[in-house]
Amino acid sequence: MTGIDFHDLTKDHGPRRAVDRLTLTVRPGRVTGFLGPNGAGKSTTLRLVLGLDRPTSGTVTVGGRSYARLREPLRHVGALLDAGAAHGARTARDHLRVLAATHRIPARRADEMLEQVGLAPVGRRRVRTYSLGMRQRLGIAAALLGDPAAVLLDEPSNGLDPEGIVWIRGLLRRLAAEGRTVLVSSHLMHETAEFADHLVVLGRGRLLADTPMREFVDARVRPRVRVRTTEPAALGRLLARHGHTAADQGGGRWSVSGVRVDDIGRMAGAAGIPLLELAPENGTLEEAYLDLTGSEAEFTTPHAQEA
Amino acid sequence: MRTTPPMPFLPVLHAELLKIRTVRSHLVALCAVLPVTVGFSVLAARGDGSSAEDPLFSAFFGVTFGQIAVVAFATAVVSAEFRDGALRVTLAAVPCRVRWFAAKALAVALPVLLVGLVTGVACGCAAAHPLSAGEQVRGAVGCGVYLTLMALAAVGVAAVLRSGVATLGLLIPLLLSVSFVIGDMSGTLADALPDRAGQVVLHSGSDGAFGMWSGLAVTAAWAAAALLAGTGRVRGCDA
Repeated sequence: MTGIDFHDLTKDHGPRRAVDRLTLTVRPGRVTGFLGPNGAGKSTTLRLVLGLDRPTSGTVTVGGRSYARLREPLRHVGALLDAGAAHGARTARDHLRVLAATHRIPARRADEMLEQVGLAPVGRRRVRTYSLGMRQRLGIAAALLGDPAAVLLDEPSNGLDPEGIVWIRGLLRRLAAEGRTVLVSSHLMHETAEFADHLVVLGRGRLLADTPMREFVDARVRPRVRVRTTEPAALGRLLARHGHTAADQGGGRWSVSGVRVDDIGRMAGAAGIPLLELAPENGTLEEAYLDLTGSEAEFTTPHAQEA
Repeated sequence: MRTTPPMPFLPVLHAELLKIRTVRSHLVALCAVLPVTVGFSVLAARGDGSSAEDPLFSAFFGVTFGQIAVVAFATAVVSAEFRDGALRVTLAAVPCRVRWFAAKALAVALPVLLVGLVTGVACGCAAAHPLSAGEQVRGAVGCGVYLTLMALAAVGVAAVLRSGVATLGLLIPLLLSVSFVIGDMSGTLADALPDRAGQVVLHSGSDGAFGMWSGLAVTAAWAAAALLAGTGRVRGCDA
């Protein structure tokens, strides 16, 4: 099992504390979304995992060992940090061949990876001719080159076209289903909601949440049901009689909090009120996240729940 | 940095050589060494009649310019790592930084030595005044070793400054102007400048403080100091 264990990890950049006593385990077999506003310490945390930054105190280990002690690091951890990191004058294929050479990975694997990320037709073109989305794909190919047990991706959907975003969503799910540890940082809530099973939220370097995504949202945002009817007045009375809080949104629309679609449907059916529309409005990750970061000031100590 | 057991060195060296081979501008700088050196030597020998005084240096006059190409090559190879987070990709693959930097230095030194030796032989053959066999060998080996040491010095400086522009801005004036400004002053500290000391091997006679081997040793000491400083910088920094 290649989990990533952070223990009391702290990193100071001069007087500023970028990562503040982070204790956390990122587990294999699920996609962990890594959220936080810009400057919250997400990228620094990822660099600390790879031994690129030196921690001020504390440790971070991959499968129980510090990254620098791994004999073949690319087979344990694959990372995408900066999409622009490949030398512009080199071809994508050569970029991967160079990385492969450090681990005696055959060049054939570089071609396979180009195929997998959809860059095979342009693999012999120089990286400087690539769009941001193509560079992201190359970075992902580089991350997966060593068939690593853990994958760290910093904002992977940056610059991807809609097709690319759908692709990466499927890729992340597949990597997790294969039993890998997948940690994906993002500041895009909608994106993260699409692929994450679990959430880690960082704010000013501190751990604000470490919970399954559904729980995270449900605990912070009450689900609602949206309903539209030809007889709004009758429906309003019915809801009030059952003790539901409902907001009249005009045009026959009601928004009801704290109920399930099934309840409303049965209730209206029994009362003979025709429904034109009935849909659950689950709390979004965005609402939950804003609720959390809005109340961040209240957190005097790192608040963490282990899943 | 302790690794147990350490990453093997040869694959890392292979990767660094491959990095050089796959960027055309690196190859161009490397290949420029020979025509620049031989070309300037031939031109200078044709231009003035003083070549008879020091036939060896006359044949290797162009090294002053060839070394610029060598320094540009070494600087470009190293500084490419410090752009756009390239070093992060590199060190994620090779977390042992000292090992990586050693591979980088060797990957620069090996092709420069090869090109330097070939250039040395070519200069000997193109000499305006015939050189003795001993001078031919001395010139060729001296040229190869000298250029290699200058490349290593540039590797060290580039790693310390982490910028190609800053490195060239420091080294090129040092190699061109300072030597010309100081000119024929000798018996002073100027003799211990890396280029002055190392180029003694390319002169028929030495009137300075160093002989041909001790001169190269002085240049080697400069290169070693630069590499050591570079190693310290690479080892200590957040990438």
